[in-house]
Amino acid sequence: DILQSPQISKCRSPEMETFSCFWTAGNFYNLTVPRILQLLYKKSNEEDWKECPDYITSGQNSCYFNASYTSVWTPYCVQLASKNEVYDKKCFSVDEIVLPDPPVHLNWTLLNTSQTGIHGDIQVRWDPPPTADVRKGWITLEYELQYKEVNETKWKELKPRLSTMVPLYSLKTARDYEIRIRSRQRTSEKFGEFSEILYVSFSQIGIGCDHCTEEVEFPWFLVVVFGVCGLAVTVISIVLSKQPRLKMLIFPPVPVPKIKGIDPDLLKKGKLDEVNSILACHDNYKAQLYCDDLWVEFIELDIEDPEEKNRASDTDRLLSEDDLKSHSCLGTKDDDSGRASCCEPDIPETDFSASDTCDATSDSDQFKKATEKEGDLLCLERQDNDESLPNLASTDPQRQHRNTQSENSNVWAPFEDSVESPHLSVHTQISNQNSLTSTDFYAQVSDITPAGRVVLSPGQKSKLGRAQREGCTEQNFPMDNTYFCEADVKKCIAVTSHEENEPRVQEQGFNEDGYFTTESLTTTVANLGAPTAAPPSSETPVADYTSIHIVQSPQGLVLNATALPVPDKEFNVSCGYVSTDQLNKIMP
Amino acid sequence: MSSKGASLKGLLLVALLVSHMLLTKEGVTSMPICPNGSGNCQLTLEELFDRAVKLAHYIHYLSSEIFNEFDERYAQGRGFIAKAVNSCHTASLTTPEDKEQAQQIHHEDLLNLILGVLRSWNDPLIHLASEVQRMKEAPETILWKAVEIEEQNKRLLEGMEKIVGRVHSGEVENDIHTPWEGLPSLQLADEDSRLFAFYNLLHCLRRDSHKIDNYLKVLKCRLIHDNNC
Repeated sequence: DILQSPQISKCRSPEMETFSCFWTAGNFYNLTVPRILQLLYKKSNEEDWKECPDYITSGQNSCYFNASYTSVWTPYCVQLASKNEVYDKKCFSVDEIVLPDPPVHLNWTLLNTSQTGIHGDIQVRWDPPPTADVRKGWITLEYELQYKEVNETKWKELKPRLSTMVPLYSLKTARDYEIRIRSRQRTSEKFGEFSEILYVSFSQIGIGCDHCTEEVEFPWFLVVVFGVCGLAVTVISIVLSKQPRLKMLIFPPVPVPKIKGIDPDLLKKGKLDEVNSILACHDNYKAQLYCDDLWVEFIELDIEDPEEKNRASDTDRLLSEDDLKSHSCLGTKDDDSGRASCCEPDIPETDFSASDTCDATSDSDQFKKATEKEGDLLCLERQDNDESLPNLASTDPQRQHRNTQSENSNVWAPFEDSVESPHLSVHTQISNQNSLTSTDFYAQVSDITPAGRVVLSPGQKSKLGRAQREGCTEQNFPMDNTYFCEADVKKCIAVTSHEENEPRVQEQGFNEDGYFTTESLTTTVANLGAPTAAPPSSETPVADYTSIHIVQSPQGLVLNATALPVPDKEFNVSCGYVSTDQLNKIMP
Repeated sequence: MSSKGASLKGLLLVALLVSHMLLTKEGVTSMPICPNGSGNCQLTLEELFDRAVKLAHYIHYLSSEIFNEFDERYAQGRGFIAKAVNSCHTASLTTPEDKEQAQQIHHEDLLNLILGVLRSWNDPLIHLASEVQRMKEAPETILWKAVEIEEQNKRLLEGMEKIVGRVHSGEVENDIHTPWEGLPSLQLADEDSRLFAFYNLLHCLRRDSHKIDNYLKVLKCRLIHDNNC
C-alpha cells in the first residue's frame, strides 16, 4: 500500500452561493493517536485561519460553507491540517469552482413520425437544477444532451445550448433510447454531473413498428468488393486483349521522342536515299541549310545511289569520260512536278529552296528521275565537289558533296542543257588540272561561265580565267539575300571562247528559274568577247575563299583575283547569302 | 476582371467572418439599424441590456481565454498560482460579493458601480494591449485578444452610459473609478516580476469581467424580466 497523506480532493460550488470542500483521509492508520483533521480557511483579506463551519452537511470528510461564509469573488485559501501538521492547501475563488447540479424533470414528447413509420422525431425538455438561481440571472447555465440506443455503448453528444429543450430527429421507432443531460456555468469549461437517464420507447405510446421491415443498410462492403473485382477484371481484359485500338484508348502509349516527318524505323532499316530525302526536306534541316556557312549549305545526308558507291574517287569520276557522257544531265528535266506544289512561296524561284521544302517524295522522285545513272548528279556535282573546301568538316566529305550536288541537281537543272558542254570544258580543265596537280581531291570553283560551266582552280595552284570573269559585268543581281546565295555558287565565269560557242545554242530553250536565266547568261556570253582562257597553271596562290569583285545580277559574282581577306563570318551571317552591304564591305 | 476581384474579396471576407465566428464561438453582432429609421432612433432598454449583456459575456470570455493562454505559456512552473491571492486595483470599489448583496443593492448604485469598474479598466487595458506586445514571443492569440478586450470594453462603457442615462432618475453621479498604477510593474526589467505582474493583471481582469457579466444579468432580469428570466 502506498502511503497517502490526507489531501483535499476538490472544492465545489453548485450555484455560486455556497461551496464545499472534500478531502481524503489517507491511510495513516498505524498512528496510535487518532488523527483529527481540520479544515482551515482564510479569506485573502484576513489574517487568521478559521475552522470549517460545517463538517456535516456535505457528508463525510467535507466542509460546507453556507451563503454567509461565501464571498464569490474573494480569494480563499483552505488547508487540511491536524494539530501539528498541514497536509494540504488550496487557494481559489468561488467563481472558479462552480459546478452546477444536474438538470431535473427530463421528459420527451413526440413531434412526428415518418411516413413509413420507421423513424420519428421527439422533443426533450428539462428543468434547470433547482439550486441554481437562473431566474434572477445570478447564474447562467449551458446544457449538453447525450443520447444513445439502449444496447449501444457510445453516447452521441449534442452541442451545448442555453435553452432547456431540444429536438431529436430521426430516431428509430423500433428501438429504445436513453437520454442524459448535464450542465455547466456558461463561461466555465467543466460540466457538472449527469442527470438521471431518460428512457425513450416508442412502443409505449403505441407507434412502435415492430412488424416493419428494417431498413436495409446499404451494403457498402459488397459494393466495394464487387467494384474492385470488376475494375480489376476490366483492366486485365484490356491489357491482355489483342485489340490495339482499345488498348490504346484506355492506355494511350507514351509518346517517344520523335522528329516530325522522320520515322525511326526508316532510319534503322530504310533505304538511305529515302532517309536522305526525308531529312533534306525537314524543316530544321532547311533552316540549317540557309544559315550555315555558305560552303556547307548544301550538305545533306548521303542519297545513296548504288552506282555511286562504286566510285573510287571524285577525281576519277571527273576524269572518266564515259561517265560524263553517260550522264544524263540533259536528261534531267526540270519539271516542276511535285516541286512547285510544295514550294514555299516566300522563297520563290529558287529551285534550291524548292528542293528543300519539297517533301521527301517529290524529292526522291526527282532524284529518281534524275539519277538514271549517277548522271545528272555528277555533272555539276563534280564541279561542286571540287569547289567544296576543306572547311566542310564532314566525316564523309565525298558523300556530302555528292549530296550537295544532288541538291544542286535541281538547282542546276535549268542548265541541264548547258551542262554537257561545260562538262567537257570542265573535264578538260580538270584533266588539265589533274595533270598539273597531283591529287587535289577538291578543287575550287573560281568561275562559272554564263553557260553554266564551272571553271575550277585546283587548290593553291592555279587560277583560271580571271579574264573570263569580266563577262559577267553587265547584269546586276537582285538585292535579296536568297539570290545571293545562289549567286555565290554560280559564279559568273567567263569561259573560253570555244566553250562558249556551244552553250549558246543550247541555252535557248531554258526557262527562267529566278537566278541564272539562260538568256541572261547567253547575253552575257554574247557580250563576251573571245575570252582567252587563262593558262590553267598560274603560280599565284589561290585562296580558298576568293573575294567577290563585282556583284552582278542576275548572273553572279565576279571573283576578285587578289586574295582579299574575306571575313568568313560575313558570308555566314545572312544565312549564307551575302547582302549588298556585305559585298560593299568586301569589295575593294 | 474587377468584378471578379470584388466578388473574390467578398467571398474572402465572408469566409474570414465565418471562421472568426466559429473560432470564437461567439458571434459578435454589429449594432443593427434602428427599426424606426427616423433620426430620433431610440433603442429600447431591453435591447440596450441585451447588447450590454452580450458584450459583457464576450469580454469575460476573452479574458478567460487570455488568462488561460498566458497561464499555459508563461506561468507554468513559476508558482504564480500560489501567489494568486492578490489584490486588484478595483478592490476599493465595494461591489456585491454574493447574491444577497446583489439583490439588495439599488440598481442605480449597481449601474454606477459597473460604470466605475469599467472606467477603472480603461487605462489598464490600453497599457495591457501595448505592453503585451513587448512580451517575449507573445502568441498572436494573446495579442489580438488584448486589443479586442480593450475595444469591447470601450463599447460596453458607451452602452452602459446610455443605459445609465435612461435609467437614472436623478442627476448623473460623479464617476467612481479607481486609478491604476500598475504600469511600472508591467515594465519591470526582471522577467519573473514582469510576468507575475501580467499574471495578476489578467487574473484581476477575468474576475472583474465576470463580476460585470453577472451584475448585468442580474440587472437585466430584475429590470426587464422582473426576476423571471
